[in-house]
Amino acid sequence: MQNLYKPDLMEAIGVRQHTSDVKSISLRFQDAERAHQFTFRVGQFGIFSAFGAGESTFNICSSSNWRDHIEFCFRKVGRVTEALWQIEEGDTVGFRGPYGQGYPFEEWRGKDLIFLGGGIAMPPIRCAIWYALENREDYGKITIVYGARTVGDLVFVDELAEWAKHPRVEVIQCVDPGGQTPDWTGEIGFVPTVFERAQVPAGQAVSLVIGPPIMIKNTIPVLERMGAQMSDVYTSLENRMKCGVGKCGRCNAGPVYVCKEGPVFTFRELQAMPLDY
Amino acid sequence: MTTLTAEGLRKLVGEWMAAGKVCVGPVRVAAGTVLFTRLASAEDLMLDGWLRPANSIKELVLPRHEPLYGYRADRNRIELLDPPEAVPERIAICAHPCDAAALPILDKVFNWDYRDEAYNRRREATTVITLACTASDAECFCTSVGLGPDAERGSDAMLNDNGDGTFAVRTLTDKGRAALGASEARGSRTNPPPARFDAKQVGQYAAEHFDDPFWREHSLACVGCGACAFTCPVCHCFDIVDERNGHDGMRARNWDACQFPLFTLHASGHNPRHTQGDRQRQRIYHKFHMYPEKFGETLCTGCGNCARNCPVGLGVLPLVTEIPHAEPVQA
Repeated sequence: MQNLYKPDLMEAIGVRQHTSDVKSISLRFQDAERAHQFTFRVGQFGIFSAFGAGESTFNICSSSNWRDHIEFCFRKVGRVTEALWQIEEGDTVGFRGPYGQGYPFEEWRGKDLIFLGGGIAMPPIRCAIWYALENREDYGKITIVYGARTVGDLVFVDELAEWAKHPRVEVIQCVDPGGQTPDWTGEIGFVPTVFERAQVPAGQAVSLVIGPPIMIKNTIPVLERMGAQMSDVYTSLENRMKCGVGKCGRCNAGPVYVCKEGPVFTFRELQAMPLDY
Repeated sequence: MTTLTAEGLRKLVGEWMAAGKVCVGPVRVAAGTVLFTRLASAEDLMLDGWLRPANSIKELVLPRHEPLYGYRADRNRIELLDPPEAVPERIAICAHPCDAAALPILDKVFNWDYRDEAYNRRREATTVITLACTASDAECFCTSVGLGPDAERGSDAMLNDNGDGTFAVRTLTDKGRAALGASEARGSRTNPPPARFDAKQVGQYAAEHFDDPFWREHSLACVGCGACAFTCPVCHCFDIVDERNGHDGMRARNWDACQFPLFTLHASGHNPRHTQGDRQRQRIYHKFHMYPEKFGETLCTGCGNCARNCPVGLGVLPLVTEIPHAEPVQA
């Protein structure tokens, strides 16, 4: 009988350290048949585990077009992530998923895309960026604004440069005032400020905004001033989860189970919900 | 059999136990404390002298600690080990209607979309023989949540105490008939608690006054111990944790409760429900608004255990009966 909570075993095939406390790990299913069958939608998440430490919830930050492996990214902050930090190539990681709803890329066809990310929120945006670039003809102009507290806190930096080389893609990097280094060539300022300065036409665009609550709170009014419809502005909630399948009760936000009905929501949907996330 | 004597019931229980069935019923485990627990002998079964055990029969379907699977580590390779699948047949005897009704309510959340097989295996192996209530106390409020002292929901069989040392037997399902034989007898001795509040209004209030100071004002005494959730027949929130022993270990499911600050704490330090008031509101909101909206059921059977077991006099009834009279308090 199927055990809902039993994970797939995956082999770590690559480990990248992004900052002093952020790593991403590439995983491949040990079971060849499962590897062949596995599909997901960008924006969905998985429950990843280090055996002996426990499970944690992370976005699958690779593109769904990459059929040979999946990636996830984490900051070392607690018991499970300390154990995941020790994972090396060849080690085994547990995975359950994919869970939740992904980004509705079909509905986004023909639109400009605006990606606004802060700090460790880049991974759930990164998968969407790669997916959009791999289906480049389906989308209009792509604007990426990514900021972190300091230069040393930016993740997937090499990929930012790669994205900027694509046609009709603008990448704006920024760091909080005081977070710059002498050779920093990006912008200095908070994501909402830098974004407003860039004056990106947002009226017909789909935006994906993920970051700390304060960034999101200050970015929404900017998007509104730029003409964005709140039904076209998306985010991915980060409620704490355990089961991932609508049982354990932990991720309830107002009337929804974030794990099943989310984690992707439009701000129009969030505005209709009580503030419980 | 349409009627069972107390003697006859004990004899049956003895036979079930001899046949390898796990029998669970109210047992006096210490002076003044009656709990649903596994019977060591049919004589332990308390047929009267208690109003409501301090726990519930949900432990039969959702154990407080349950290994989900084991693992064995050999350097960097992991082998997963299934827990034993077979669940012995279990019979809950003298559950109350507020216990029995919990099971069909819990079926909904454990089977929407993703089926929780561990839960279902236990559920299928469980027979519930309910004892209709002939008494209620000030904490009982089953009649306010659509149940009653002889409500049949979730029961496989219903016993009614005739008051003369015999019980009228009514079997309701195949499981009940398998245990007691077909019988249609009805007893008449019940003692319903008065209707104490309107459950729909409570749900509506929780949804419309989500950020009202009411919740914090009425939760100041709460110590966040979680006794309400642990003794509730339908509170089902759980945690999943690793227990490691050298190179081996297991991943287990343990009861959890929305009253604990860690329950919703994000890794960033942000906590969506950072006050005890937020957490008390969640408990009421989940039971009376969210669950009804999602599953068409109130996540409460009116047993009153939350209030009886609360060290500071809170619980569903003390809290929600304040609602219609709640004056907005300045934040």
